[in-house]
This record gives sequence, structure tokens and C-alpha cells, in this order.
Amino acid sequence: MSRDIFIVSNSVDELGGVSSWSHRMAELLSARGHRVQLVGIAPAVLHKDFGDDLSYGMTTLYQERPASAWTPRYPWQQLDVGARRREAKRVAGVREAAARMSRMFQDAGPGAVVIVTQVWAMEWVAQADLKGLLVIGMTHESYETCRATSRYGRVKRYYADVDRLVALTEEDADAWIRDGMNSTCGIPNPLPFPLPETVQPATKTVVSIGRLAQEKGYDLLLEAWALAVERRPGWQLKIYGLGEEEEALRARCTELGLDGSVELPGRTDDVPGALAGAAVFAMSSRGEGFPISLMEAMACGVPCVSFDCAPGVREIIRDGEDGLLAPTGNTTALARQLGRLMDDRELRDTMAKKAREAIVRYSPEQVTARWEQLFDLLDA
Amino acid sequence: MPSSQAKPLVSVIVIVYNDADRLPRAVASVLRQSLRGVEALIVDDCSTDDSFSVAQRLAAEYPGQVRALRLPENSGGCGGPRNLGMTEVRGEYVMFLDSDDELDDHACRNLYEAGERTGAELVSGLSVRRFVGNRNGKTDRWYPWIYSRTRTLDSVSELPDLLVWDTLSTNKAYRRSFLTRTGLQFPLGILYEDLLFSAQAYLAAERITLIPNRVYYWDQWPQAKDKGGASLSNRRHEIRNFTDRLEIHRRIDAMLADRDMAELKYRKDLKFLKHDLVLHLRDLPFLPEDFRQEFAGHARGYLAGLDPEAVAESPFIQRICAYLLTRDDWENLLPAIDTLLNRDKLSSPLVERDGRIFWCGEHLDDPEGRRVLEVTAHGYHSKALGQLFLRNQLTRYAVGPGGVELAGRVVNPLGRIAADAKISAKLEFTARRKTIKSKFAFPVREVRHDADGIVWSATADLTKALRPLGVLDDVWDVRCVFTVNGERTTTRLTVGDLDLAAPPTPAVRPRLTRLTGDRMEPHRSVRGHLAFELAAEGGLARRGTDLIERAVRGEAGPVANTAMDRARRTLRGALRLKRQLNNGDTKLKVYHQLLHRLPVVKGQVVFESHQGKQYSDNPRAIYEELLRRGAPMKAVWSYAGSAAGFPSGATLVKRWSWQYLRALAQAEFWVDNQGFPYRLRKRPETTYIQTWHGSALKKMGFDLASLKRQTPEQQALYLAGLNRFDHFVVRSEHDVRTLAPAYRIGEDRLLRAGYPRNDVLRDEGAAKDRQLAGELGIDLTKPVVLYAPTFRADASGRVRTFELPFDVEEFVERFGDRMTLLVRCHYLNRVVLPPSVAGKVIDVSDIQEVTPLYLMADALITDYSSLMFDYALLDRPMLFFAYDWEEYADDLRGTYFDLLGEAPGPVLRDAGELYEALGDLDLVGKEYTEARQRFVAEYGEYDRGDAAARIADLMFGAADGTEQEAGR
Repeated sequence: MSRDIFIVSNSVDELGGVSSWSHRMAELLSARGHRVQLVGIAPAVLHKDFGDDLSYGMTTLYQERPASAWTPRYPWQQLDVGARRREAKRVAGVREAAARMSRMFQDAGPGAVVIVTQVWAMEWVAQADLKGLLVIGMTHESYETCRATSRYGRVKRYYADVDRLVALTEEDADAWIRDGMNSTCGIPNPLPFPLPETVQPATKTVVSIGRLAQEKGYDLLLEAWALAVERRPGWQLKIYGLGEEEEALRARCTELGLDGSVELPGRTDDVPGALAGAAVFAMSSRGEGFPISLMEAMACGVPCVSFDCAPGVREIIRDGEDGLLAPTGNTTALARQLGRLMDDRELRDTMAKKAREAIVRYSPEQVTARWEQLFDLLDA
Repeated sequence: MPSSQAKPLVSVIVIVYNDADRLPRAVASVLRQSLRGVEALIVDDCSTDDSFSVAQRLAAEYPGQVRALRLPENSGGCGGPRNLGMTEVRGEYVMFLDSDDELDDHACRNLYEAGERTGAELVSGLSVRRFVGNRNGKTDRWYPWIYSRTRTLDSVSELPDLLVWDTLSTNKAYRRSFLTRTGLQFPLGILYEDLLFSAQAYLAAERITLIPNRVYYWDQWPQAKDKGGASLSNRRHEIRNFTDRLEIHRRIDAMLADRDMAELKYRKDLKFLKHDLVLHLRDLPFLPEDFRQEFAGHARGYLAGLDPEAVAESPFIQRICAYLLTRDDWENLLPAIDTLLNRDKLSSPLVERDGRIFWCGEHLDDPEGRRVLEVTAHGYHSKALGQLFLRNQLTRYAVGPGGVELAGRVVNPLGRIAADAKISAKLEFTARRKTIKSKFAFPVREVRHDADGIVWSATADLTKALRPLGVLDDVWDVRCVFTVNGERTTTRLTVGDLDLAAPPTPAVRPRLTRLTGDRMEPHRSVRGHLAFELAAEGGLARRGTDLIERAVRGEAGPVANTAMDRARRTLRGALRLKRQLNNGDTKLKVYHQLLHRLPVVKGQVVFESHQGKQYSDNPRAIYEELLRRGAPMKAVWSYAGSAAGFPSGATLVKRWSWQYLRALAQAEFWVDNQGFPYRLRKRPETTYIQTWHGSALKKMGFDLASLKRQTPEQQALYLAGLNRFDHFVVRSEHDVRTLAPAYRIGEDRLLRAGYPRNDVLRDEGAAKDRQLAGELGIDLTKPVVLYAPTFRADASGRVRTFELPFDVEEFVERFGDRMTLLVRCHYLNRVVLPPSVAGKVIDVSDIQEVTPLYLMADALITDYSSLMFDYALLDRPMLFFAYDWEEYADDLRGTYFDLLGEAPGPVLRDAGELYEALGDLDLVGKEYTEARQRFVAEYGEYDRGDAAARIADLMFGAADGTEQEAGR
């Protein structure tokens, strides 16, 4: 059956994973005949242009980002008249935005679904009239990562009564269930692009793509690389991306004597192009959710070596089958795994082949079907 | 989709027998399901109350969602009604619910979804036991380890625990086609029908999916005391209970045998020993003789058929009980059951035969008895008396004019409480919940030896001397504390079959008011020990406590509620405040904001070794040097557990106490070898000398994956702790290359002084400590060999239990006449030596300071312990017993260098090689002279014998009196 589907996020045009996911899913679901509407609470801080010719609707509730809630720390702050007035205005604003959402929801047909991709947006959704709607909450990061942030408490509070909480993997879903969120399941992200027809021949290159930020662990990748490249001259490591760690990483390269074997070519929009010719893809993150970059590499026929830093990682890479994992933070082990693939062309080829076959389980058809099954279940 | 028309997805069979009150609650939990296509099928087991009319009313109220059926006559169990229900259901899946329980709101959705996704015939989820009416809302997850994650099994043999432990039929959804295909039925006319049904279902299902979701709430209702309405599983004294259980087990065994499932049988037998048998044995001491005989007869028959491997694998006390039961040895069995219920308790006086320890002196001529009854490895013979939990059997309970009269008998293990020992004792009454005063002591009048035990008697005047607060402290435990030659050991009073009901119950006067209770009613705790409960006997007290109880449940009138609530809140609040004042965060705040403003005390030095666990190592050597030269210091030593063994000349403060924090806040120097609490900042006026505790073989600090993976905030926190060090002592350039970068210590903070604790090893004239040798019983006329292995951890970093990697008795046989072996295991481990090796192999693990042991040892055997770096300074033979090097070095942590290549002595890979090398120690000594010198040069070049002096100079100026600016 075709449904009205509202995908509500903090913003609809943010540069980042959740917006990309929303647009990708909106495109896939509207191709299946559903009427999809993307709803953003506020305009993006870092804007990304997703184009005009969209097969789905797009609305943003606020003209500018609303103030955060007022939480007086001491009793006497309750007397602050100005703050009280501002808070009253903010609350009225939330109510008004929720009312706008309610009007959108009222026009929806039976079986309509609201997917809330981020818990911050749930504060508005919760105040809207949700009668007759299926409400699905999402958490786009691993349970452990969420646990370490203030989002954890909000997920448990604001998502307590949603019809289903959707995590990225079954392992994360199990963790949420053990934690008391008893209606939770895991649905993976879809592949961002169709499987390339051909695989480019590999050269002695290891590639990584990601923001140059501490959580991506490129300092650790360099340490591992120093060990791996020591006895394997001629190999190159290319790390695509920009970020605040760039200077520190360049300095570290020099310190470790890696200037000759490491390149930092900057950001790339052409992922398949960056992966062309790569023999191995490396990921050294300290934490992840369901990393698209691994899926992209595997789709392009590049076997991956990664820290085992999240359930999403060990779900995408089946260790020893279509890629290799190392305990998070253990640079010796990461170097050892890189070395295994660098040394063994046959192993690379086998794993690349298996990776391309296995990654199909995240094809748009498969993932869209999972979502439609979920909608049906919540109706049953 | 209006479910009244379509075929339901899930049918829930709700069985009821004389439970009209609770039935609607159970049915409501079905109607509340988030999955809409669910029907409830109520089956009444011919109740005599109006259960069936309630069921019919529900069916009329929810047509198409609720149906009601009734058995023509009562079946007496759960099987009959469930079987009838199974013939009538229409849903794709079937579930069972009892009328006093509830389903979780999402139970059907989650079970249905899992079944549809995996195609399983049986889907099972987590049961949660809820204690209805419990003040703290207590719940208990049932076998959570089985339901920790979603998983699908093609056969139950992939997860034997499922069949073995989760024997409930109610937390599951069965595909109806599966029930039809297999014709599964509950057995009739027998207890434990669930056990058999679930076992049959597990074995028959083509595929089983487990989900971690809570699906079933198994509610424990408070039992009305006077109705004798103990639930089935609590009426163990009925023999049928036991025979039925055995019969069900026999039927399951037969099914397993048919299918050749030996592994499952083994696991099930193990569980029978660990669990089922315990359930029945625990009440045995209180039951009449004829029952015991009959019980033993049935048990013997079943025990004989158990898998011998399962018997061998079960905990020792289970094995002993099973053996004594088959031997009909009630004399020894009844005390052994006490240990079954209290795992740490020693309930037998034990015997020693041929250098080994046995549970009892009987049955030792039977080889099996000898094997089962040997308990040498448990170390009862070498543990301090204070660490043993001795059985203390109550032999008299009466209430006389002077109060409660008690007498008892304590086990005297291996006669360790000597006839001439000084013994005294007292009784302690302790409230289970702490309030203002929660402990009252009463003297024990008489304590004396009697055959192989100690007997005592006492009178406790509770009315006069014990003042409970009331309400909060309603349960009081009784302990009997003995002091034997100055050593304390605490016992509990085992009631046994003693009658506690004899009136009168002792009166008490609670501090709040007698409205909260006026009697102390004795009872036997779950573990069989004497305890008292505050009870109400007088009319006023009864009305008062009733009011309180109702207030707690929220049923009392509004006035009583508010008054009671306020009283409870005030009391709780006061107790919380007391706790808060002493919790860590408060202490940290006071330390940083208040104590740091107090003036620094000149010359105050706070010493700590291994986080207060010991008085030892480098801090001790520095302390002793400062003492020797009469430096103007005010010494403070920190201790973690007990202050015993710490120097009386220093101020002793308990770690984390207020005095400790104040001493640190006002200190001029901090000296330690591991790290003062990381969250305590150091003020700039204080100088922190971090002496460290050993050179590194294994990766440390920031070289560990666990630290590398941290977020910048976590790393910064750790680094802040390290940045407190003003001086970091190193003993070689190896330390500079490894420890310094691992702990981010810059060149300016390195102190190349060597280790103070090793000064004495560089002293040519250092002699063996004869007094210590005497205390330990070491014969110094023979060579002494020290064996000091390090600990091993598993993949998750947990310390593994230590087992000697060679047979000490074989060692004694071969070398016992020629040398003495000292065994010192890592402080995270323990070792137990059999009495047979006494005097030849000696456990020296408890000696805090290791240096005198180095001096005493003519040779060292180690594996990877960092003490190799210290002992090498003595230039004596060293043997490296690296039987598991690959496993140790190749694990994820990694090492800084290759021990096998650099070891200054033979690397021995098995016991045979070790014995061979021990055969000619002189040769080892000669062959490796050069290697040892190289090793010392590489790893100990700054250990020159003057480390303590150099550090003392740094702190208080040179010994000759010239003042120096203390190092910053």
C-alpha cells in the first residue's frame, strides 16, 4: 500500500550523514509510490544543496534556529522576568511549529508514518497531534557512542512511547532492548550509489576517506602505517578529507618519517574516483555508526581493514571473510592486518570479490523492503 | 485491520483456577498488545469461585478478541487447560499466560516479528520476575545470559543452556503449524509439566529464535502467612514433588538418549547437581527421619545414572553432598548442606591424611570417596582463621527472665584453635538496613573446647539493651564474633531444626515509638541463619504497623499517609545526608575548594605504596633513608585495608579518608609508586616524586590500545593525572625509551636516580634476614630458590586464577632434600600448597617487602615478572620458566622487547626442562655471567646503590647539612 511518510529531522539541508540518509530514503520511498515529505525543524548550520528537482516535498518549520530551553540552575533565577518572557515565547513557538506539523499530519491518509531521524526533533513531534499515525524514532549512531553523550538520556525519555525505535544494526537494537527500549529493531543504511560495473586494477595504494578529526583516528593509522610500510617499500597511503587535525597529522608524518609514503590530497566528491586503483581501504576510527565509506569501498571492490569500533563495522565487514578487523586502538594489530592484505594479492582478490557480493545486502531494494515490512508490522 | 474479523496472528491461552480477582488483569495485558491481531482464549480449570463467570463477562465485552472455555472437571494442574486451549486456538502463533501474570505490551509484536523474519517454529523471549508489593519495586530477569542478544538456532544443541535452564513454557510463541505437526501436549497428572513440555518443544523445533525483549512478567504475589498457601515450588517437603521431578528428568533423559545428545545430557546433569538437588537438599535438615530415608532412596537411584563427567565437573560441595547422600552418611551430610547454602562456609572440622586435607575422616578407604572428599586445593589449612567462615550451630534457643538464651557449637578446623588458645566471644545484633545505631553487642558468657569443636553460651537482654529505630531497621541479623589469640573470626548462627516458635517473643522498645513494633520475632533466614524481625503483638503496635504497611503501599487514609510519608522522608533524608557527606564527590569538592586553602605544612611527606595496599617498595626505602638521616620530615603513610604492618613512627591515614585528603592537601611532598587518586589535583607548592614500581616488559600507558582509543577528553583527564608528577624515577635508558613516552614524561621531569628499593641489592655486605627465615621456617643451610611468576589476564583483561605450572609434590620428591622453594605469586593471585610439601615449598606471597626474599634466594625462577630487572643486580642464577611465552607475548597487549632473545638465563619451556636446569644451578650461574652483566647494563644502569640518598638529598638537602632548594 502506498503511504504518506513524513521524515522529520533537525534540518533538511544539513551537510552530514542524516540529511544524506533522509534524501536518499525519500527518493527511494517515493520511487516505490509513497508520498514523502521531508520536514526540518530549523535551517542548517552547514548548508548542503540537494537540488530543486526533487520527487518529494520539503518544509522547514523555523526561519532561524530556535533558542534552547531555559533551565534555571538556582531557585532565584526563577525571578528573572526577561528570561521567563523569552521562555514563554519559545514555548509558544514550539507549540505553533507543532501545530503546523499537526495540520500537515491531518491531511495524511490512513497508515501514515512519521519517521523522526534525530531525537532533538522529537520535542516538536511529541507536541503535534499524532492521532492515527505510526511514529518511528531513529538513532543514527552506535549504542555505545550514544551512551557517552547527553543524547542518551533524551533518547530514553523522548522515544519511550514511539511505536518503534530504529537503530542501525541488530546488535545496537539488542543493546537498546536490554536497556529497556522494548520496541526496537535495526535497519542498515542503504548503499549510496549503484554497484560499479567494473573494478579498477589495483596499485600499491592504501586509501582512507574521512574527516581529519580526532574520532577518525588518523593519528593511529599513521602509527600503524609506520609499522606496516617499514618492510614494504613502494606502498602509498592516501587519506582523503579535510579537518582540524590536518596540521597535526602532517607534523606526525614528518616525525614518523612517512613524508614519502603518505599523501593528504584533501576532500573529494568523487568517491569511486578516489577508490580507483586502491588495493586496500583503511579505517581507523575510534567510534562509528554504520560507516558508508566502508560500504562504498566494498562496492568498488576494495577490501577493507578497520578498527572494530562499532557493531555497524563488524556487520559490514565479516572479519576474515570479506575484510579484516583489529581491536580498536591497537595499532600493532591494525598494522598486522594491513600487512596481511598488502602482502597477499590472492587474499585481496578473494576478499574484494566476496565484499562486492556481500555488500548487495544493503542494496536500496533490500533496505527499502525492510522499511516497508516495518510499516506493515506496525499496522498488523 | 479489525482483528475481530480476520484470523488472529497470535492466540494467547490464559489459564485460570480460582483466581477471579486477577484474571481481568492478565486478560487486559493481552488486549493492550501493540500487535493488534491478538486473541485471548481463557480456559478455566473448573474453578469453584466465579472465575468462569468473569471469563464469560470478558468474552461478552470483547467479542472476537476474548473467548472463554471451561474444563468439565478440575484437572489439578496447568497441563489440562493448556491442552484444551491448544485444540481451540486459531492464531498463527500460540502463547500461554497464567492468570496471575502479565504479558509485556510489545510481547506479541516482538515474538511475531522474529518468527516471521527467521521462519522459526519457536520464538522465545526474556521473562522478568516481579515481586508485587515489594517496596523497592524489585524485579529479577530470568536467565538474562541466554537472552542477551537476538539469535537463531537450527538446533537446541547449539545452546544447551536454553534447554537446561529455561524450562518455562510461557515466555514463548509457538507456531501453530508446529504444534499441529508435532502433536505436542503437556503431560497430565504430574508436577513440573513445563519442564517436559519445553524440553520436547526445544528438541522438536526446526528452528528456534531467541530475542532479548522482555515478553513475560512472572509475578510473585505476597503470600498470606496464615493460609498455608505456599506455592507449588515452595512445598518441597512433599515427597511427590521430588519423585515427580525425577520422573520428568528421566523422561527428558530418555529423549536425549534417543537423539544421542550426550553434550546436552552432560549439561543437564550438571544443572541437576548445581540447582535441582540443592533445592531439595536445603530443607533436608529440617525434615523428619522417615522422609530423609525415602528421599535418599529416590536420589540414589537417579544420581547413579548421571554422567560421571558432570559429577566431576560440578562444584566440590555438590559432589561431596551427592556422595554422602549415596553413602547414607547423614552425620556428615547435614553439615555439608550448610556449605551448599553458604558457599564460603567451612562446616566440617576436616582431617589431614598423608599431607592432604579431606572433608571428613570416613570413606577414605574408598578410592572414589578419597577423590571426592579431598579439599586440599581450597586452602582451608593455609587461610588465616579470620578469613574462614566457620559453621556455628545453634544448640539452644530459649527466652528466660534475663533475655534470649543462646548456645552453640563452632567447628574447629584441623584443631587450629589450640586447647591453650585465648578465646573470647561476643554476640552482635546488626540491622540489615543501617540507621542511627545499627549494632548492639552482648557478651558471651562461656566459651570452651569440647571434643573437636568449641561450645559457647550467652544471654542477650534485647528488651533492655537493643533499641531499634523502628520502621526502617525491621530485620536484625545475629553474628557471633570470636577472638582467638587476638585474631577475630565472625560466624553466623545456624538454626538447624531448633524450634524458634517457643514463646514468649522478646519485647523491645523502638526509639521512634512502640507503634512501629514491640517484639523481636526470631526466624530462620534463607541461608538458615538466626535473624530477628521487628513485629507487633500489642493492640496499639498492631494498629500502628498496619497503618505503616498500608501507607507504604499507598492505601492508608490521606492523613496517615502524609504523616507517615513525612516521617519516612525526614528519616531517609537524614540518612541520605549522612551518606552524601561521605561520598566521593563531596570529598573531592571539599578537597579542592577548602582543604587546598589550608597552609602547606613544611616537611610533610605523604607516602603510599601500591595504592595503600603495602608498606613497601621505593616509597618505603626513601622513608627509611629520611628516618635514618633524621631529616626534618612529618611522615604520613597511607594504607588501604588495615594499618597492620605500617610504621608506628609515621602518622597513618586510611586512603580516601578525610585525614588522608587533608594530609595530601597540606603536604610538601607526595611520594608513591603507582599514582595517588587521579581525581585529586596537586597544588603547585607540593612536589610529587613518582618513583614507579618496575621497568616494563609489557606495553604501558599511552602505548595501550585501551588508552589510544579514548576520546580527547578522556585522554586529557588521564594526562592531567600524569602531569602531576614533578619527578619520575627511572633506573635505565630502557625506562627512558619505554615508560617515559608511554606516560608522556618529558626529559625535564626524569630523575635518573635508580630505584631506592634496590640500594640494598647493590650492597655487597647485605646479609640474609635470619629472623624472617626463622619465621617462615626456611632452612638456610640449603640453597633457597625463589619462584615468582607474574599474573595472566584473559582477552577482556580479567585476571585468571593462578595454578602452579608444575607439580610441587614432584618437585619435593626430586629436590626436596637439596633445596627449599619459595613461591611468591603476584598480588592479584593466590596459591594453595598441600601440607605434604610443608617446610620444603613455602608460600611467601603474603610478605609485603620482596627485597629480603631476593637476598635470601640463591637463585630465581620467574617468567615475565618485572622483578627480573631487580634480581639481576645480585648476579645470581636466573631461570625463565616461560611455558606460555607465545600466548603471553602474542596477545593483544604486546611487549617492548623479545624476552626469549635477551633473557640472562635459560628459557625453559616445560617442567622437564625446569627440573633439568634446577639440577645444576652452578652451571646456570657460570654460563650466563656475561648475559647477566649485559642485562644489568641495559636495564639497570642507574641502580648504583645510592638512589634513596639522592632522592633524600633532593627533598631535604644533602645529608651533610647544607640546605638545598627542594627540587621542583
